[in-house]
Amino acid sequence: MTAAAELIGVTQRFGSFTAVDEIDLAVPSGKLTTLLGPSGCGKTTTLRMIAGYSAPTSGTIRIAGIDSTRTPPEKRNLGMVFQSYALFPHMTVADNVGYGLKLRKVPSAERRLRVMETLELVGLAHLADRKPKKLSGGQQQRVALARAIAIRPKLLLLDEPLSNLDARLRVQMRAELRRIQAETKLTVILVTHDQDEALEMSDAMVIMNEGRIVQQGSPQQVFPRPADRFVAEFLGYENFLTAADGTPLTIRPEHLHIVEKGHGLDATVVDVAFRGVDLLVSLDVVDPSGATVRLLADVRSGATLTPGSGVTVIAPDDHLVSLPR
Amino acid sequence: MKRPITAALAVIGYVIMIVPIIFVVATAFTAGSTLRFPPEGISLRWFDEALGYEPFIEAAISSLGLAVLATALALLVGVPVTLAIHRGKLPGKGLVEGLFLSPLIVPELVVGLALYQQLMIGMDLDNFSTLLVGHTALMLPYAVRVTGASLALADPALEEAARGLGASPLRAFFTVTLPVLRPGIFSAGLLSMVTSVNNVPLSLLLQGRDFRTLPVTMLDYVQQSYDPMVAAASTLILAATVVIAVIAERTVGFAKIFGGINQ
Repeated sequence: MTAAAELIGVTQRFGSFTAVDEIDLAVPSGKLTTLLGPSGCGKTTTLRMIAGYSAPTSGTIRIAGIDSTRTPPEKRNLGMVFQSYALFPHMTVADNVGYGLKLRKVPSAERRLRVMETLELVGLAHLADRKPKKLSGGQQQRVALARAIAIRPKLLLLDEPLSNLDARLRVQMRAELRRIQAETKLTVILVTHDQDEALEMSDAMVIMNEGRIVQQGSPQQVFPRPADRFVAEFLGYENFLTAADGTPLTIRPEHLHIVEKGHGLDATVVDVAFRGVDLLVSLDVVDPSGATVRLLADVRSGATLTPGSGVTVIAPDDHLVSLPR
Repeated sequence: MKRPITAALAVIGYVIMIVPIIFVVATAFTAGSTLRFPPEGISLRWFDEALGYEPFIEAAISSLGLAVLATALALLVGVPVTLAIHRGKLPGKGLVEGLFLSPLIVPELVVGLALYQQLMIGMDLDNFSTLLVGHTALMLPYAVRVTGASLALADPALEEAARGLGASPLRAFFTVTLPVLRPGIFSAGLLSMVTSVNNVPLSLLLQGRDFRTLPVTMLDYVQQSYDPMVAAASTLILAATVVIAVIAERTVGFAKIFGGINQ
């Protein structure tokens, strides 16, 4: 597999602050790669360096095999969708989408054709003559996407493209983006802080923290095997306990079972929260090392659970993940 | 406890601003021949007289010409300065902005005297050129503030988007930044023109026999005769100002224009 973009020892410092700290990254061609992490982890800075909006303090960026570290953005031929969409307010939807083609001196008849083709792809051909202000957030987002795709970019860069949409639309757009990626076969780099979004959409996910890459792989590889406590917490592993030999362990709330009596860990129910389809039970559990830890169990039913009652918690081995000490 | 005081101050403010205007406007419609309130009857005769009085018309043309030229110069200097302040990597941005806003603070008589001394006496410049320099300086704060306000509202990612799509920095400026700023520049221009036309202190100090602005001519007139023609002329200026203010409000909005000044 060839890398559509490659970062080698890339560092970005702003004054004394190191936003991105010597990262190495190979973005697979024709796939959707997400840069995932909390705000301030360096994911957007990384994307902006790939796009050419800021030059790395040190390191090399290769795009399609060519060293592009100091190439200005207008010479990179990349499509970028900004978090704010950044649609040109004084142009119609069609002119926005055609802007990059006009700069490439595509003759007007062909331009019109390609603009309409791209708008068709995002389902907005009927709004070609509107001004961006007259569109809903979701429609503006699609225009921004069409504008970026129309130039047939080497890479499609998406900076938190879904974070300004409401929850339902966001979920719809995830599938929509996947479809467009599959149809265009573009290499996509998507920046997000939403782990569900990353899990659902990525071919490859790159998790960043404090300017470094902490784990990467396919969602199927990463999700069941978080590399450290940070990744585990970020992916929703809420329970942390210690094995008899002192190894830190983690397990997801939905993988804990509660039984009244059995072979497991002694626990006391602290609180029971009813959440409709399930119950979220807080427990004080004596872990294998002998320490008492507060754990959360997500269970289907538990009519008999009341705060203060003693129960047994079972943490199945195949769901327990060991973390580095 | 704060509200009644605020409300009272607001009422006093409006009274102080509006009452004199009511007197002038009412007097302008008088049928009598003295500048007196209440007016004696209603007629448009003094508007007719004002529009037919040659010194006023000549001065109005001078005023407009000066305003248009000064505004154009102020925008030519002010818009690039604003861009440098807001988007550039300029050291001492605050200082530069302060410098360009300072004509709002320095008393105009001081500016006028300085220009008189240095340009008219010192460099032997004519009235018109000196006035043009003075008015341009006076308009700069408007150019910088109003365009600055609309620039602050514009998404900085717009230029980046243009660059990413293949536009050189210059191309991005002319195809995206400038068109986005157009309403702001337009309002800045309107406000500058109004300020220039209404200016008295500078125009008074720097007037000459061959170039005199409308307010100065009106002042001269009042000193010699006491008829309502001057009230009629004032009313016409007022009406024009209101029209321009409404256009400025519609295109950018005063909250955005003046919101910046209080920062």
